[in-house]
Amino acid sequence: MVRIPTLSFDRGTLILHPPPKGKAWVDYATWDDRVEKFRIKAIDYRQLVEALQNENINFIDEAKAFIALELVSSLAMEPYPHQTQALTAWKQAGRQGVVVLPTAAGKTYLAQLAIASTPRSTLIVVPTLDLMHQWYAQLLAAFPDAEVGLLGGGSRDKSPLLVATYDSAAIHAEALGNRYALLIFDECHHLPTDFNRAIAEYAIAPYRLGLTATPERSDGKHSDLNYLIGTEVYRQTAEELAGKALAKHEVVQIKVKLSQHERDRYNESIELRNAFLQQANIKLGNLKGWQLFVQASARSTAGRKAMLAHRTAKAIALGTDGKLRVLSNLLAQHYPERTLIFTADNATVYRISQEFLIPAITHQTPIKERHEILLRFREGEYRALVASHVLNEGVDVPAASVAIILSGTGSAREYIQRLGRVLRRGTDKDKLAVLYEVVAEDTSEEGTSVRRRGAGRGALAKRGEGEIQQLEILPSQTTYGVNHITRRAAESQDMYKVDIDNQEDR
Amino acid sequence: MLPTDLLTHRLNGETIVPKRLAIDTKNLELAAELIACFQESIGNSQGELNERLQDFEGDSPDYRIKRGLAHLLKGLCEFEVISPLEPQVLRERVFKVAAQTVPSSFNSQQTLKNLALQLSHELQREVIAEEIRMGLYADLAENRILTSFDAPTPEELLHRYNLSQVQGIFYKASHLIINAHRNVPGQYKLLFRYLKLFQLMAYIEGDAEHGFTITIDGPTSLFSPSTRYGLAIAKLIPALLHVTKWSLSAALQLRDFYTNNWKTGRFNLDSECGLISHYPPGKTYDSMLEASFVDRWESLKTKWVLEREVDLIPIPGSVMIPDFRLVHPDGRIFLLEIVGYWRPEYLQKKFSQVRKANCDNLILAISERLNLEKVGVKLNDCPARIVWFKDKLQPKSVLAVLE
Repeated sequence: MVRIPTLSFDRGTLILHPPPKGKAWVDYATWDDRVEKFRIKAIDYRQLVEALQNENINFIDEAKAFIALELVSSLAMEPYPHQTQALTAWKQAGRQGVVVLPTAAGKTYLAQLAIASTPRSTLIVVPTLDLMHQWYAQLLAAFPDAEVGLLGGGSRDKSPLLVATYDSAAIHAEALGNRYALLIFDECHHLPTDFNRAIAEYAIAPYRLGLTATPERSDGKHSDLNYLIGTEVYRQTAEELAGKALAKHEVVQIKVKLSQHERDRYNESIELRNAFLQQANIKLGNLKGWQLFVQASARSTAGRKAMLAHRTAKAIALGTDGKLRVLSNLLAQHYPERTLIFTADNATVYRISQEFLIPAITHQTPIKERHEILLRFREGEYRALVASHVLNEGVDVPAASVAIILSGTGSAREYIQRLGRVLRRGTDKDKLAVLYEVVAEDTSEEGTSVRRRGAGRGALAKRGEGEIQQLEILPSQTTYGVNHITRRAAESQDMYKVDIDNQEDR
Repeated sequence: MLPTDLLTHRLNGETIVPKRLAIDTKNLELAAELIACFQESIGNSQGELNERLQDFEGDSPDYRIKRGLAHLLKGLCEFEVISPLEPQVLRERVFKVAAQTVPSSFNSQQTLKNLALQLSHELQREVIAEEIRMGLYADLAENRILTSFDAPTPEELLHRYNLSQVQGIFYKASHLIINAHRNVPGQYKLLFRYLKLFQLMAYIEGDAEHGFTITIDGPTSLFSPSTRYGLAIAKLIPALLHVTKWSLSAALQLRDFYTNNWKTGRFNLDSECGLISHYPPGKTYDSMLEASFVDRWESLKTKWVLEREVDLIPIPGSVMIPDFRLVHPDGRIFLLEIVGYWRPEYLQKKFSQVRKANCDNLILAISERLNLEKVGVKLNDCPARIVWFKDKLQPKSVLAVLE
């Protein structure tokens, strides 16, 4: 009895047994003593199958578990020329390769075109939960009848269209390896690490698409992308993007005075702390001083008390009830306009959510719930959202006309990103968005706010001399002078109005 | 097991020496204090527990030990979400209603009161507004309530810690070579069961007299060594501790701190290492059939000695572990496998294994109750000697095949 050679998938590898005739397949196979069969790298699947077919060798392919999809796409948008060109280039390269496009050039849309033109089960790998959410939302919109699932961030779906984080996809690489015909790597420069590369190596997917703005890696491993995905098939520079307008907006800064009670407690705490610092001869001006303080706090009761006082003062300065009072006013004033509230820390997010019963988004929010919340916000069912810094890094957030920042972390980049997001052009062209920045007066928060607007050179210098009068919220990064405002191509200076201090609220 | 940042080891020449806590009064007290900390936190939230632990940690240089011990104890905890409704469902309901009015503390109170009334009605019990507010984010890790804690003894905790430190070394292992001697089948079976559970592969060489070499790695190790299977290998170690008479050597893939190049390290361990496994031990006998056979053999007068310590019979992709070994003073050796009642797939596999093993001194004792033909097993091409039995396996019928 002559058995027909069978190709099967074994935990990220292929097994070809019994060995077929011909020679071509031998180049890919390695004899495995442990099972007494030939084993082949999963990534060589396509070449192996093509080699067998070229020699007209009859074999049974039990390895592939990917399926053809019937995708009814509702891709309504006319693709940009660069998207069409990139798609064509990728197809001509046998649907294997890397496309380099600058941020915000519609990489996701290009990927959707690729999925629609390949229609096979597809795994999309993304570096962050934010991007995971974004892909999920866009795939649902593009392929309304398809089953779209998530792997990572608390979800473990097994759908034919699956969005996974690099972490989760790498952990489950052995199980995912034969179920997808098309692999899409978003920000694919994340792939060539020792751990992540298993996603590509343990997969038989004959079609692979890498997307990135910056394929280059400092460790030189970007050349591995040629092997893991395919060669670079298309590249477009950032100039193409210039000229996309942002909505106009004004910035209103509101300074919140501490209540007398808070002021007293704040001063008391600061005094207590400063007394200790003076006695222990610690200066909080830099990171070193902060480390000394932490160490001292663990050694003595006095140090511990000083640290607790420091924390109390910090809490008063950051999350004062006054700020929530201002927030309450602003919410009442702008109801029912769409309002986004940003805070730096999760605790404040949840406090606001529980106090005002406003839906919250943090990195702990399950992706699907977050999707629901944003959907309801977009549709107007929810009128306000409170979020921590999760909404960073080029994630689409629906247009809102009001944004309120409470106690930011003072990084210029973060400020710009948040601004751009709130003020992303909605349908209303005449919209004048308002950004409120609520800071407590007379604490180091003020310095943070100045820094955040990128005009803080003078304030920084002053802070350095401020010795221990000022409360240091964080071991200051600004000492190293790294806070420049970086504007994106799409931004230009004259869109920013000058700050209008809201005198009534002072 | 411990996360990498809580692993502590030092280098003694080329040898890696993982942190090991002595089982002494000082450490036992530390363990007992931590265990008490957990026990007293039952009914409180995880956030409160974390704060307590942080206080306990202080900033002393041994904070990593405390944190490591606490990490292990957290694995023995059960945290539950306590909320009137599934928090996600609750949130949706609350926010939907709340969005219809201007957000303010006063309106929030009203919304919560109204919902409390509705929920009291739906759930047929009194729900108060504050319960809803608390339940809103009851699913956040820090808000989950510690409901049960499977407290170990301080000594158990220290053993667990020491084992975890050793397991941590194997995170960087690319493969493992175990030198094992003839052993009790139950011990081996446990080891190979875990091997399969963690999706590892084994290659076995050697014989009963000189011992067996078991090389353990994973499917893709064939192409290039990687630390991909390090975690699985680490999980295997506690199972190995139930086996006696072995030594192992693991190849470690380490990054050189200065050049950032890969280099290979080694780690050795043996059955005298004094580590204590927390995995349950394997059973001595698979079935009553085996146990009663041992009893009957002992009452028999024969020179054949029935041994529990058996050989491993390597077969492609797997291993066969017979139930008994029969040794005659003149040097003759047989292996005995009892095939009782099993599912058809198991039988098919077993007989295909026996054929593959091609072992000429194997005796199969098969129950007459098994309808082998129906399962599709033909005994013609089976290299083993066969003994049939009805309800119980008689030593005499086995002897008859031996002589």
